[in-house]
Amino acid sequence: MKMFSVAHKTVFVVDHCPYMSESSRQQVECDVLTKSRAQGVIPLAPVSKSLWTCAVECSMEYCRILYDIYPKDKLVNYVVSDSEFHILNSWRRENQSTHELMAALAAVGPPNPREDPECCSILHGLVAAVELLCKITELQHEKRTALMDTAERVANRGRIICLTNAKSDTHVRMLEDCIQETILEQNKLAACSDRLMAIQQCELVLVHIYPQGEDTLVSDRLKKEISPLLTSEVHSVRAGRHLASKLNILVQQHFDLASTTITNIPMKEEQHANTSANYDVELLHHRDAHLEFFKSGDLHMAGTSTRENGLKETITLKWCTPRTNSIELHYCTGAYRISPTDVNSRPSSCLTNFLLNGRSVLLEQPRKSGSKVISHMLSSHGGEIFLHVLNSNRSTLEDPPSISEGCGGRVTDYRITDFGEFMRENRLTPVSESSHNPAGKLPVERAKAQLERHTRYWPMIISQTTIFNMQAVVPLANLIVKETLTEEDVLTCQKTIYNLVDMERKNDPLPISTVGSRGKGPKRDEQYRIMWNELETLVKTHAGATDRHQRVLECIVACRSKPPEEEERKKRGRKREEREDRSEKNVSKETEDKSWAESERLKGLLEKENPESEVIKDSPDSPEPLNKKPRLIAEEVQPAERAKGPVTLLSMWTNRITAANSRKHQEFFGRATSVNSKFELYQHLKEENGMDVHENGKASR
Amino acid sequence: MPTVVLMDVSLSMTRPVSLDGSEEFQRKNLAVHGLNMLFEHMASNYRLEFTALMAFSSLWELLVPFNRDYNALQDALSNLEDYDKTCIESALHGVSNVVQQEWGSACPCQVVLVTDGSLGIGKGSLRHSLQNLKQRGDDKKFPLPFPFPTKMYIMCIANAEELQMTDAMENLEELLRLSGGDGQIFTVDGPLCMKTVQAMFGSLIDYAYSPFHAVLHCGNLSSDVQVFPRPEPVVMDEEVEPIPRTVNTDLEIVGFIEIADISSPPVISRHLVLPIAVNKDVDEVGTGTTDELEEEPSASQMAGKSPNFCVLLHGSLKVEGMVALVQLGPEWYGMLYSQADSKKKSNLMMSLFEPGSEPLPWLGKISHLGPISEAAENPYGEDDSKSPFPVQPQVKRSYAQNVTVWIKASGLQTDVQKILRNARKLPDKTQTFYKELNRLRKAALAFGFWELLKGVAELLERECTLLPDSAHPDAAFQLSHAAHQLKLASSGDSQYAAFEHNIQPMHTDFSS
Repeated sequence: MKMFSVAHKTVFVVDHCPYMSESSRQQVECDVLTKSRAQGVIPLAPVSKSLWTCAVECSMEYCRILYDIYPKDKLVNYVVSDSEFHILNSWRRENQSTHELMAALAAVGPPNPREDPECCSILHGLVAAVELLCKITELQHEKRTALMDTAERVANRGRIICLTNAKSDTHVRMLEDCIQETILEQNKLAACSDRLMAIQQCELVLVHIYPQGEDTLVSDRLKKEISPLLTSEVHSVRAGRHLASKLNILVQQHFDLASTTITNIPMKEEQHANTSANYDVELLHHRDAHLEFFKSGDLHMAGTSTRENGLKETITLKWCTPRTNSIELHYCTGAYRISPTDVNSRPSSCLTNFLLNGRSVLLEQPRKSGSKVISHMLSSHGGEIFLHVLNSNRSTLEDPPSISEGCGGRVTDYRITDFGEFMRENRLTPVSESSHNPAGKLPVERAKAQLERHTRYWPMIISQTTIFNMQAVVPLANLIVKETLTEEDVLTCQKTIYNLVDMERKNDPLPISTVGSRGKGPKRDEQYRIMWNELETLVKTHAGATDRHQRVLECIVACRSKPPEEEERKKRGRKREEREDRSEKNVSKETEDKSWAESERLKGLLEKENPESEVIKDSPDSPEPLNKKPRLIAEEVQPAERAKGPVTLLSMWTNRITAANSRKHQEFFGRATSVNSKFELYQHLKEENGMDVHENGKASR
Repeated sequence: MPTVVLMDVSLSMTRPVSLDGSEEFQRKNLAVHGLNMLFEHMASNYRLEFTALMAFSSLWELLVPFNRDYNALQDALSNLEDYDKTCIESALHGVSNVVQQEWGSACPCQVVLVTDGSLGIGKGSLRHSLQNLKQRGDDKKFPLPFPFPTKMYIMCIANAEELQMTDAMENLEELLRLSGGDGQIFTVDGPLCMKTVQAMFGSLIDYAYSPFHAVLHCGNLSSDVQVFPRPEPVVMDEEVEPIPRTVNTDLEIVGFIEIADISSPPVISRHLVLPIAVNKDVDEVGTGTTDELEEEPSASQMAGKSPNFCVLLHGSLKVEGMVALVQLGPEWYGMLYSQADSKKKSNLMMSLFEPGSEPLPWLGKISHLGPISEAAENPYGEDDSKSPFPVQPQVKRSYAQNVTVWIKASGLQTDVQKILRNARKLPDKTQTFYKELNRLRKAALAFGFWELLKGVAELLERECTLLPDSAHPDAAFQLSHAAHQLKLASSGDSQYAAFEHNIQPMHTDFSS
């Protein structure tokens, strides 16, 4: 159905003239006496509905089904016509509910039989209906605004359902002519108005209602084209049951509905609590829920039955008693809102209450072959019940290659749990439109922005990271990704950093992954260097956000220990010009490492043992404490690694192996500080002589 | 989207094609060459496609049922025999049967019809079929349109000029239109030879079998992926939005939702999301594939060992029982989730929701889903015991409220009996009595059913006279009060007949 088909706008025009107060002559016995009380009591005379009551309750039932299945944008405008017209609601979405209409109808009351029939006519209402169809709805307005220069794509069509008691076929023709004329007139008016739209198509459904036991004066007529703008059909129906089933059929035709009967629903009997009888419940829904049946042409195979009135078909589906653990993602090709045909019958309300309580029911398609095919599922979401269509055919995606066979499939140490935690933090929640600031970013854009912040530094595998394997880093890692930090957050981050400094001072082991490693892992100092580098990388990606983020970075830079070999390098750098052979190579390396070295220089501002680290943290430009002696033992960084930057896979690998081994025994001092398994003896002598002993990790001979 | 290749093996396909200075070819040979090229392309770039091969003349035969074994398809091509005349109608009946048997009637399917443009003669010819289209009974309907959504590609081993000399082109166009209009007619450009036929099949491959490559983003994490089958453009409302919507090649994750919250949403299509190595050349159109096949293992082994975001995402989605909401374009979303098949293999899947701002009513508008960190308190609760979903509709549906419908007499009788039952248990049931009474009153006023109000008033008065001696004095008071109020309402007096007005229990306890 198109967005702006005739179904978008329906005007009910109900006759409120004096003759509608006539009795339908269908009597309802509402005093059902139980046997024990029957003696001596005169039962109440049966009541009978007026034509008006019949018309109103059937039109309300039409609206009930319509609103259940299309809660939005299939709109009804209700008009009552007597000596003038009364419009009971508007096209506005907030006016679209049966409660609203019932309240308005109560205010109108039944027709006054003593009113002068000469002044009353359904025509007042019909003219008003045409005028109403020209009025623009909220959806039409929204779409016209959104489409801008292609606004003409928004069509204006509508349907008028007229419930009346016509006098004759000629009378009907007169009504049709009158509508046709009014449309032409109104379209002229609409052409020069922004708030009105010309009618492109109007469908008149005239329902002539007459009391039981009378002969109709109006003949049925199928849909016929009065003009390119107007089609008209006439239904002549007796009031009461017949009218109800006529309007039920009409609502199905008008809104592409179909009927499904759920069969075999077990229900406890009040009298016999331990047994259950099976019941059937009929539901209406969009007919696409039966698409598969229609297409494959096996409607009859799927348990169709034609009703006794021969007008309506329903498809039977069998209830399957639900399993309890139902958190499962079904492959569902459609979900359609339902409305029970007999909403307040006991079986219907039992079924709907069962579903509203959160249970889902699978429905089985009865087949001749005997194989069980689950084709549908009933399930409620937020107080609305949907009929889900499940795919029961062979999947074209069967037997795909497993994800473990593809790219990245052989990697085994993904941070699955951490990413799970990440997903939980990045879950979504509805933001009410009222609380959303229209000038600001849409909530979904803010969600994306949050994902961006959270993933600025996010290593995918365990062996690629140290900090995310450390409980001690968690507070900082959680806070730094925030859009803004409070003073308190900054304090927490700083505390985290001091805590790390403390760990380093105590020489606490770091959780550098050692899985599958052999041989030696990196030394403790090296581990900390890696850790600090990584932490700095993480915080750097956020440092630009606010001054507070920047302060966290500064704190790290100030607090992290300065690798002594840096000191060495700088010294060498100063002397470089004097040296001949390797200078060129070093220069190129130096440029490569420039940014890194820069950060290292900043880090180097503090010795790791320096207890006053905090004091100078805000002045990264303060001069280096030159009086400190460089520590040679840290000069174990390998050349390859240095060339590539602080953390390479090779270095990670080496670190891992070294760490594993170093745990097994107390390392010799010499080996622990060795370079390429070589350790220069009598270093202090050369040092004192001012000679450069080490050159990029190679002992000079 | 499965493919049926429908190959014309009528005698006219054996017509020779004259080539300058080389051996003579039949049109059939050219067709087979083209199809081989297609199958080779599919084997290397589209290998999850299920393909069937059918041959037809006046009869039809399923040579290779749906599968992914492209060698088998090529083998079958090399063993084609020649038969009598072309009869497209019966062949299409065959396609319809074969497809529905395998995939049902909802699964979209591609049909590649390979023919030479001589469409048969006399009864059974396409011309004849199309001419008597309208004079057929229900039992002899033309097979088009197929019950399943169809893309029809008509590959003519003939050039356009040749087809336009007869009415062949017209008839083929009509055929395409009848199939639903989704598809294309391909003709050979220039003289018939290997090269031009290759070019024609090359354009089919580009048009219908080029793999869909995209980049899946989650903030700064990303992965190159192939989406299979490729997502097709969607038209939502041909009037308001006639331009089809296509899926972006950048798929952006916007956040995550629990499986229980998204709860089996309806989707328009499902796709595998396969991570691919970045710098692998992907579209070779069947040239030199053999060499590459040999190199591939090492390349794919390398790719297998470097971490890939898809694998991480898949693993966590599976463990946590969640889905990732992914944006496919403006106001168009889908979900990523882990899908396991029966053999314990599992995969990253993407399902597409209907385009629009609110594809799933129970999530509300997708553009109004925001990060939980912005909520005043975690909507999932500190221990994940709560959920902000489903979003409740503003107005309850009829079955979720206590609506009054008296279309069937039984509905009315039940409501009256309920009131009487409670009336007999006054004053214990005072609240329920008035609740039911007011419900009936409201409906009767709305329906203009004043006669009922009078009737029920009489019933209550009668109940009053029938009260046993042991009855509480309150019962009589309440009954006559209620009866009186109903009568007032039935007078239509606006003071008593207001819809929102409720009859209040009579105040009988004067002690307080």
